Amino acid sequence: MSEHFYMIVPAALAGLMLSVPCACVPGLHIYNILGLLALGAYHLSGACSGIPSELTIPFVSGMLTGYAVLNTIPAVLLAAPDESSMFTVQPGQKMLMRGRGLDGVITTAFGSAGALLLIPLVLAPLALTVLPTIYKIVRPHTHWVLWCVIAFMLMSEWPHPLPNGQAGLRRFLAAWKSLAIGLLTFLLAGLLGFIIFFAPIGYTATAFQNLLPAFVGLFTMPWLLMNLVSGVEPPPQKSDAATVTLCPGSVVYGSLAGALGGGFAAFFPVITGGVGGFLAGHTVAMRDSRSFLISQGASKLVYYVGGFLLFFVPGLGVRRGGGAWMVSGLVTPYTRYEFFTALSAVALSGALALLLVEPLTKVVLRLIAHAGLRKVSLVALVVMVGLVYAMTGLAGLLVMLTATGIGLLPIIYGARRMNCLAVILLPMACNMSGFGARIVHGMGLL
Amino acid sequence: MKGIAHFTAGVAVASCFPAAVQSGASGNPLYFVLGGVAGLMADTLDFKFYRFFYRHDAEITPDPLAPDATQIADALAEAVAQASRNGRPFRLRLNSIRLGPDEWQSYRVNFNLHEDEVRVELGPVVDTGGSPVSDAVAECPVGIAKLEVPVHLEYFADVRIDAFEGPLFRILPVSGGGVRLEFIPWHRSWSHSFFVGACCALVALMLWGRLAGAVVMGAYSSHILLDQLGYLGSNLFWPFSRSRTPGLKMQHSGNAFANFYAVWLSLSLIFLNLARYASLPDEGGLLSFRLVFWSALLLPPVWALLRHLPK
Repeated sequence: MSEHFYMIVPAALAGLMLSVPCACVPGLHIYNILGLLALGAYHLSGACSGIPSELTIPFVSGMLTGYAVLNTIPAVLLAAPDESSMFTVQPGQKMLMRGRGLDGVITTAFGSAGALLLIPLVLAPLALTVLPTIYKIVRPHTHWVLWCVIAFMLMSEWPHPLPNGQAGLRRFLAAWKSLAIGLLTFLLAGLLGFIIFFAPIGYTATAFQNLLPAFVGLFTMPWLLMNLVSGVEPPPQKSDAATVTLCPGSVVYGSLAGALGGGFAAFFPVITGGVGGFLAGHTVAMRDSRSFLISQGASKLVYYVGGFLLFFVPGLGVRRGGGAWMVSGLVTPYTRYEFFTALSAVALSGALALLLVEPLTKVVLRLIAHAGLRKVSLVALVVMVGLVYAMTGLAGLLVMLTATGIGLLPIIYGARRMNCLAVILLPMACNMSGFGARIVHGMGLL
Repeated sequence: MKGIAHFTAGVAVASCFPAAVQSGASGNPLYFVLGGVAGLMADTLDFKFYRFFYRHDAEITPDPLAPDATQIADALAEAVAQASRNGRPFRLRLNSIRLGPDEWQSYRVNFNLHEDEVRVELGPVVDTGGSPVSDAVAECPVGIAKLEVPVHLEYFADVRIDAFEGPLFRILPVSGGGVRLEFIPWHRSWSHSFFVGACCALVALMLWGRLAGAVVMGAYSSHILLDQLGYLGSNLFWPFSRSRTPGLKMQHSGNAFANFYAVWLSLSLIFLNLARYASLPDEGGLLSFRLVFWSALLLPPVWALLRHLPK
C-alpha cells in the first residue's frame, strides 16, 4: 500500500466540495476550473512529478463526479445548462413551470444514481477486459462513426406539422420551416467551429478555454435571454422530494439507455456529452419525459466520469474529455491501482453528491422564489459574461455573442437545439476524413 | 421501429461488406453513411414529404373550449356510412385538441366490432410528452355512435389522440358490405416497398458504383423487414400491390425493449464485422464480446416464450 493512501478520501471530498460552486454557478464549467488548477499544479511542481497520484486522482474524480451529478440544478431550474445537460432544459423547464422543479432535478438525479451503480458493476469490469481489444478494432473507423452521428442528427429531426388543415404545399412549407432553421443552425454552428479551431482569434491557448465562449453562447445564454425577455415566473414549487413518483422500469431502462449513450460519447473522440444524451434519448424511444430525464442524468455522468476513467485502464492508453487531458500531465497510470483509486473516489463522491442534490435544489428554488427567475437569470448572465471576458478577453466575448445569435435561432423557431453541436462535430469530422484543410483554405482562414 | 434502430441496422448491413469495411478503415466514410441514410430513408420519405401531400376528404376538429365526445363519435360513424353508401374510399382526419402551448386534451377512439359501435372518450389534459397535467374531466366525456355497416380493422381497435397531428383514416368499402379502416394510409405504403429500395439502390449504383448500390439495397430492405415484425405491416410489393401485407405482430413499433435490443444487436454486429476484417489476433476481450453477441441472439425466443406463458 502506498504511503499516501490516507489522502484518497479527503482528496475526493475536497474535489466534491469544489464541484458544488462549479456545478451551481451558471456558465462556470468544471473544465475551466480544472484547467486553471492544472496550470497552477504545473507551475508548482515544476516537472509535474511532485504531486502524488493519491491526491490528484481522487481530487479530480471527486470534482468530475460531483459536477456531473449536480449540474442538473442550473440546467433544470435556471435553464442554464452546459453542453452535456442541454436536453434536460426543456422537460425540466416544463416541470418548473408546473411547480415541480425539485421533481425534475430528483428525476434526473435518479439517472445519475443508476449510472453510478452501472459504472463499478458493469462498465468497469468491461473496461478492464474487452475495451482494449475493442479500441484496437474501432480506432481506424472513428471518422465514419462521426459522420454517421451527423447524418443521424440531421435525418432524425422530424417536422411538426400544423395540427389541422388540408394537405398541400402550404402545409409542407409550414412544417419544413423548423427543419430548415435546424439545417441553417447546423451550418452556421459548423462554420463557427471552423473559425474557432483554425482562425487565429487570440485566446485559443488560454488555459484550455477555446470552446468556452462558443458553448456558453450556444447553450447557456439563449435560454437565459429568453427568461429575461419573457419575464415568466415559475409558480410556487412543491418542495417535498417524497412526492416524486417513478416507475422502477423507467429508472432501469432510462439508466441503461443513458449509460449506452454516455459510454458511446466517452469512448469515441470528439463525440461530446450532448451527443451522448441525444443518442440516449433516441434509444429510450419513449415520449415519457421522466424516462428521458433519467437517461440524460445517466448519460452525462457516464460521459464525464467514464471518459476520465478510460485514461486509467491499463493497456488502453486513451485520453477522453478535458479531465483526462489535464490530469495526463500530472499522473501516469502504470497499473490497475490508479484505476481502482479513481473508481473508489467516484463511488464515494457520487454517493455524497446524490445526498447534496435535494438540499442544493431547495436553496436555488428559495433563491428563485425570493428574487424571481428574471433577476436570478440576469445575475447568471452577468456572471457568465464576466467569466468569458476574464478567461478569453474581447475576442472570446465576440465569439460568445456570435454563438448566442446562432443558439437563439432554434429556440425562436422551434427547431432542435442539438444542431448547435455542429460547432465541434463538423470541423472535426472534416478534419478526420482528410478534407478539413481544404475547407479551411477555402474559407480563407489559413 | 424507431429511427435510431433503423439507422444502426442500416450501418450494420454496410458493415457486412468487407470492401465497405476496408474502405472505412482507409478513410472513406461513404458506405457506412449510405447504409445509415438508406436505413432511415423509407420513414424520411413518409414523415418529411408524403404525409404533407396526402389529402383528406373531411376532418374532425373538436372545439377546444367545449370538446364533445358524442359529436366526434357521430362524425366518425357518418364517415363510415358515407364511404359505404357512395362505394368510394373516404379519407378522414381526426385532429388533436390543443389547449395551450404545451397542453392538449387527449381523447381515445375505440371501434367496438362486436356491438357495431364507435366509442369516443375524452381523457386527461396532457403535455406534449403525453403525461397528464391536470385531473380535470371534460363535460361530455363519453360519446357512442352506432355504425351502419360492419367495420374491418387492419390495426388496433383503440387509437389515442393527444399531441401534434392527429391520425388519418382511409375508409374503404369492401365487397360483401362493410368497410375496411386503414390507419395513417400515407405511412408504410409505396415508400416501404422493395421496388423503391431498388430504385434508391440504382441511383446509388449510378453515383458511386456497385458496392454503394448493394449497401443501399440491403439497408433499405432491413428497414422494411424490421417494420414487418410489428403490427401495421408494409406495402412490400408496390406497385404490384395496393395494400399493406400485415405485420408479424411480434412487437409494437414503439416497444422500448425491442428498440433497445435492435440497437444493441446492430452495434454488436457492426463491431464483430469490423473485428472480422481487422485481422487482429483473437484475444480474450474479443471472445467475451462474441459470447455476449451470440447469447443476445437467444433473447427474442426467450422473450417470445415468456410472453406466451399463462399469467
